[in-house]
Amino acid sequence: MVNLTIDGKNITVAKGTTILDAAATVGIKIPTLCWLQKVSPTGACRVCAVEVEGVERTMTACNTPVKEGINVTTQSERLTKIRRKVMELMLVNHPLDCPVCDAGGECDLQNACYGLDVAKQEYSAVLEKRQIRYDWPLIESDPNRCILCEKCVKVDHEIVGCDAIAVVNRGEATVIDTVDGKPLNCEFCGNCVAACPTGTLISKPFKFRGRPWTFKITKSVCAFCGTGCQIEYHSRNGRVERVTSDDGTFNNGNLCINGRFGYSYLNSPERITVPLVKEGSVQIEADWNRAMAYAGDKLQDIVKTSGADAVAGIGSPRVTTEENFLFQKLMRVAVGTNNIDSEARLGYAGAQSVIREKLGFTGASAAIDKIDAAAAVLVIGTDLNAEATGAEYRVIKAATKNDAKLVLANMRDVKLKKFANSHLKYRPGGELALINGLMKAILDAGLEDKEFVQGKVGNLDALKAALSGSSLADLAAAAGVAEGYLREAATLIGGKKSVAILFGSDLMRSNHAAEKVAALADLALLTGCLGKESGGLFPVDAKNNTQGLLDVGVTPDHLPGYQASAAKGKDLWQIVEGIEQGAIKALYLLGSDLTTFPNNGRIKKALAKLELLIVQDIFNSEAAQLAHVVFPAAAAAEKSGSFTTTDNRVQCLGKAVDGAGDSREDWDILAELYNRLTLAGHVYSPAELLREFKELSPLYGGERTIVDGRCVGTGKQAALKTGLAFTPLTSPVAGAADQFRLLVGAIGYHNGTMSTRSANNLSVSPEGYIEIFAADAAKLGVADGAAIKVSSAAGSITGKARVSEKVQPGLLFAPVHFRDLNANSLLEGNANLVGVKVEKA
Amino acid sequence: MAQVVFSSWGRNIVDNRAGGAGAEAQFRLPVTYDGERPMAAFMGWDGIIVFNKDVDVPVMAAEYMRRVQTLYCCGKCTPGKKGTRVLMDTLAAIIAGNATEADLGTIEDLTDLLKNCKCTLCQSSTVPVLDAVKFFRDDFLAYINGAKTPASGFNYIDKYTAPCQDKCPAHIDIPAYIEGIKEYQFGHSLSAIRENMPLPSVCGRVCPHPCETACRRKNVDEPISIMVLKRSASDYEWQHKIEPPMQPKPRKNKTVAVVGAGPAGLAAAYYLALEGYPVTIYEALPAGFGGGMVAVGIPPYRQPRHLLQRDIDIISSMGVEIIYNTRVGKDITLAELKAKYNAVFLAPGAHRSKPMGVEGEDKGYKGFLKGGIDFLRDAYMGSPTGMGKKVVVVGGGNTAIDCVRVALREGADESYLVYRRSRKEMPADVWEVDGADEEGVTFEFQVLPTKIIADGNGQVTGVECVRMALGEPDASGRRRPEPVAGSEFVIECDTVIPAIGQDPDLGFIPPDLGIDITKWNTIVTKYIPYKDAAGKDLKDGMGNFQSRTLITDCNGVFAGGDAEIGPLTVVACIGSGHRAAKVVQRWLEEGKAYLTDDEYMEDILNYMGVYDKNESVSWLDSVARAHQAEVHGKERASYKNYCEVELGFTNSQAVREAERCLRCYRLAMVAV
Repeated sequence: MVNLTIDGKNITVAKGTTILDAAATVGIKIPTLCWLQKVSPTGACRVCAVEVEGVERTMTACNTPVKEGINVTTQSERLTKIRRKVMELMLVNHPLDCPVCDAGGECDLQNACYGLDVAKQEYSAVLEKRQIRYDWPLIESDPNRCILCEKCVKVDHEIVGCDAIAVVNRGEATVIDTVDGKPLNCEFCGNCVAACPTGTLISKPFKFRGRPWTFKITKSVCAFCGTGCQIEYHSRNGRVERVTSDDGTFNNGNLCINGRFGYSYLNSPERITVPLVKEGSVQIEADWNRAMAYAGDKLQDIVKTSGADAVAGIGSPRVTTEENFLFQKLMRVAVGTNNIDSEARLGYAGAQSVIREKLGFTGASAAIDKIDAAAAVLVIGTDLNAEATGAEYRVIKAATKNDAKLVLANMRDVKLKKFANSHLKYRPGGELALINGLMKAILDAGLEDKEFVQGKVGNLDALKAALSGSSLADLAAAAGVAEGYLREAATLIGGKKSVAILFGSDLMRSNHAAEKVAALADLALLTGCLGKESGGLFPVDAKNNTQGLLDVGVTPDHLPGYQASAAKGKDLWQIVEGIEQGAIKALYLLGSDLTTFPNNGRIKKALAKLELLIVQDIFNSEAAQLAHVVFPAAAAAEKSGSFTTTDNRVQCLGKAVDGAGDSREDWDILAELYNRLTLAGHVYSPAELLREFKELSPLYGGERTIVDGRCVGTGKQAALKTGLAFTPLTSPVAGAADQFRLLVGAIGYHNGTMSTRSANNLSVSPEGYIEIFAADAAKLGVADGAAIKVSSAAGSITGKARVSEKVQPGLLFAPVHFRDLNANSLLEGNANLVGVKVEKA
Repeated sequence: MAQVVFSSWGRNIVDNRAGGAGAEAQFRLPVTYDGERPMAAFMGWDGIIVFNKDVDVPVMAAEYMRRVQTLYCCGKCTPGKKGTRVLMDTLAAIIAGNATEADLGTIEDLTDLLKNCKCTLCQSSTVPVLDAVKFFRDDFLAYINGAKTPASGFNYIDKYTAPCQDKCPAHIDIPAYIEGIKEYQFGHSLSAIRENMPLPSVCGRVCPHPCETACRRKNVDEPISIMVLKRSASDYEWQHKIEPPMQPKPRKNKTVAVVGAGPAGLAAAYYLALEGYPVTIYEALPAGFGGGMVAVGIPPYRQPRHLLQRDIDIISSMGVEIIYNTRVGKDITLAELKAKYNAVFLAPGAHRSKPMGVEGEDKGYKGFLKGGIDFLRDAYMGSPTGMGKKVVVVGGGNTAIDCVRVALREGADESYLVYRRSRKEMPADVWEVDGADEEGVTFEFQVLPTKIIADGNGQVTGVECVRMALGEPDASGRRRPEPVAGSEFVIECDTVIPAIGQDPDLGFIPPDLGIDITKWNTIVTKYIPYKDAAGKDLKDGMGNFQSRTLITDCNGVFAGGDAEIGPLTVVACIGSGHRAAKVVQRWLEEGKAYLTDDEYMEDILNYMGVYDKNESVSWLDSVARAHQAEVHGKERASYKNYCEVELGFTNSQAVREAERCLRCYRLAMVAV
């Protein structure tokens, strides 16, 4: 600890604390402008200059650590003069377009001038106009307004790890621009816009949508991925016009393109605004009463004639936990069937079952902020940038700011590669061999967490024995990586104080995923990554409420809170099969467009056979167009309730605007239908539904607390069970030998299909493509941008080739999001990888 | 002797404008800019020096500030970015006759405000400008009153530098690479390093880092750990498996041969390859042993081989061919090289051990080894070294230290170092001596070996020594060590390794090529005839002419590295190889071997010295210099344990250390 005096007050702070932070501990506020807590100090503006006794020059408080015994003065005539003059210099040639500047009213430069009483201008220089970048998508840059605080560049580099913008040129001509001067081509997370204290970097979609102070600000939670970033909706005249996030939030104000710009789906012309019912072969607009009656009557007819199990329902990770709870109650109680499932079946649900059985918890073992300070991080089977950007930012933080060693195991080169100490670019299907190889290499080097393993896990010898069956060379060969790389990766993640393991859909949706997830759980035990101050085991999911959906029992095999179900219903693929066979006659799709699922050619045929298809959605999806009844639903910004993140944080939504047209909140629609079917008159609300769920299960037993106007936390615990054991698997599954395989997955610019109805996202990523390895493309004579045809047993698609070195020989990749490309139509079952034939189109 | 017209340099005012006898002032500057054109004025961070009364100081000050603002100001702090712009425009307005006297007040006001700048360039640039306003006020007023208009006169040549960068023999832009680390941009940092340093893993580890002796942070507390930060930037690349970003220009026709794959040869090859020249290096040692003295002279516990090899592989991947196992003069003649290639660069190094001049050394005793460097080479290459169990190494340089430490790792039970002077007089780096101490080496200081003792079989059994003491001061006032009568004693041993220095082996240069060789056995190259005010030649610390083009008297043949400078340091050889590459390129493209303005300025400033140890630097010394982690204990020197001893910084530690940097850029400008 260091003792010092600031403005006569004695202070004791930790070594390394800056004068600025030290002053704040006793309530002394030193003015700042370029300082941004979440990035490294810049010291550019000089506004925080302070005097230190015995040092002739002023020191900047933001980047000067304290020293024992120093005497600091933060207010003096000299300092006031310096600060004012510096501000006057800053205003030299600053444009006077404040009245039409987007930052007007929320400009730190205005505030600083006002605060420091800078009312005159002593200096002048020849004015040189700098070109405004109107040619960037989503973001506009007016360098004339720039005060060169570098916040944008630092956020871009240090937090996002994107390096799209930089300080360029010299002297007065110094501006923030793209490194190559070309139009901005980045992740478009907009975190630079949020960090900009002036109107230099502004959001194009928000430009001229209103003065900042005229918007209603609603605190809520992002409705895209399972990271659950805390956001604020800014709405006016019933429209959400922008999304921001405060630096004080759990996510430090950092968002991705979906979180910041994806809101434009709310205003999509594809929103359904009135109920529809099918008359003959056409859908006609109806009022709620008619639509409800239609659905209720038909459902009851089918139950009466064919039994309750002729009905099935698909829930949604997009709707709230409360709504999913009510949906399963509707299916189980009002209809009387366990035929209920969701897209979680494709991977997350199965992976969670394995983890729950082996380790005892659901979701992640800890909140994702435990990634920040982990000593080592393994990211396996996920493009974290696409599936959980917020978690990716934390991995970047761990690797760059906190010296974590990073091992990336992925079939493709993804953004995290540049931060990784090791990239294990494994062969498709090589996951089990890879994980076993890592465990073997860790054991060979004696780098297992001995204390954890000896104390908590019974059967290390069994694991050793199983792994002794194959040599590391064999495992490396089966995984398609060099043996040396495995050994190196073992030294990077083995023997560390804390380890974070993150995994995603490429693992959870691979063939034999259950074995692979079990092996990964073993690796988690071996490295002792559970139950420590830092690190943990973190599944990620690209959808916002997959965890909540499973927690409340939208699954055929368990009841709310993971309570055992006496009878198991049909799962996703059994439901499809049931429809095909005529056993299932009615299907209720809650916020889930089955026509975009894997093997959707087959699914579409099946849907056409249904006697009753109820679609409750926010968009006029292809499934909605096939439906007998369509219920228009409210979107996330238009309702209340809560989402549960993959790391078990339960967070409330804030209702920013009313639903589009006649749409109603999903719980409200479900409640009415429930009451109609059961002839009950119960009044539901999200709070009431949560209370009911808590009565049924202790899972969400904790209290909700309000932090900064947001409700967070239910005390959902991820307790490690006792009696842990390794479940060694000796035979790595050899991959099939198709010449080509197509991997279908998420990309960073989109989230599900929801963002493909967001004009903002489409402005930077308008269409799908098929990524093909350069040498393969050359062999096929396919040029970048040319059309290629890719066919599997399930169907064929044609799309633009993107020739790249990021995939690997024999591996193609296509984004899942685009309905036009429909890459999912080639998949069969849960796997996101399929053998294909590739040809020039 | 040229009289100084005016000087404010170093805050000493010498004003001879009034004429008369005048006061004298001495500056470490040549009287000409390039050996021919007289230096008319010098302007920089510490004032103005006017040699020619016709120099228009207001115009020069305006031009100086224009260059600071438009060419060098980083724009990364408000006073610097905006303040120098206001200064530039104000000075320009004065020269254009569009200003008032009040504008001179603005200059004074801003000079004061710019003391709050983030770094040193902009604030130091106000020093000569304020001096100009102060001491040449009448000239400024003449412009303001419209009584004067600028006349064409002098050429201005500037040089952007920093004390550390100037002191570094390779002139690496040190503040730039430190800033890269500070900003978590390790890639940018390494790119800045590679502009002047193609072996970053080496000079991030074993450089004697003269830069740190010229670090301005030293005037506050301790220097920045400049060398280890270079290692951090270099380690980041391979630890993240990042492909080096260099892209050589399209291949050219003219070819270059390089003799020796040491630091100088590799550096020359690297920069020529970047320019697109096909370069072939001839190396006497077999493949896998490239690197010259770095490879054979620096043991792997200081310089891990895989990293040296990585740096060499990068150079190979840029299109440089290295032909190993080929000694020029034996396997191929220099004349053949000259005939086969458009240019030849000689960088054979200095690998021949010097004799001790001790009785018995020429008897061919078993256990008396040829030399330290030969011992290190044999140990490194896995050849029999002839070493026994009790080893005495004679010498006080880094090679001697490396020998005693390698002897332990090669299985010696006892390892002695015998040096004729005291510990603090050893030329070896202090940390190397300390390292040897920690590993259990026995030191015998102020001891002179006088005789090698052997048994009847010609096996060394000991070395006879005499103790030394400082004698009376000689004519130069220096006290030389002298033997103490009667202090003779014998150190029993079975191995003696003389490690008292090396010199170049230039036997491969045939006399008929016209290449001159000095009496110190180094290759003569052409130089710029710089003289000081007293008419004396400007010389560098090795006694060579200060500024050299590195072309020999034989057209098309260039020389550099230890064989041209005399045995010095890795970093000096790399600087030499880099300059050679640039001169060779000019020679290939224009048929002339010459230096550019930037190089003249580099050499002039280097002679002058940019660092001022007496400068009072105002800064809060709240962060002490960081020290890298190190493996401790005798275990680290156990048999065949060549694992690296120093472990570098963690990245976050590197960032904290980089944050200590004061970024001491400054601009010098001469009028010619």
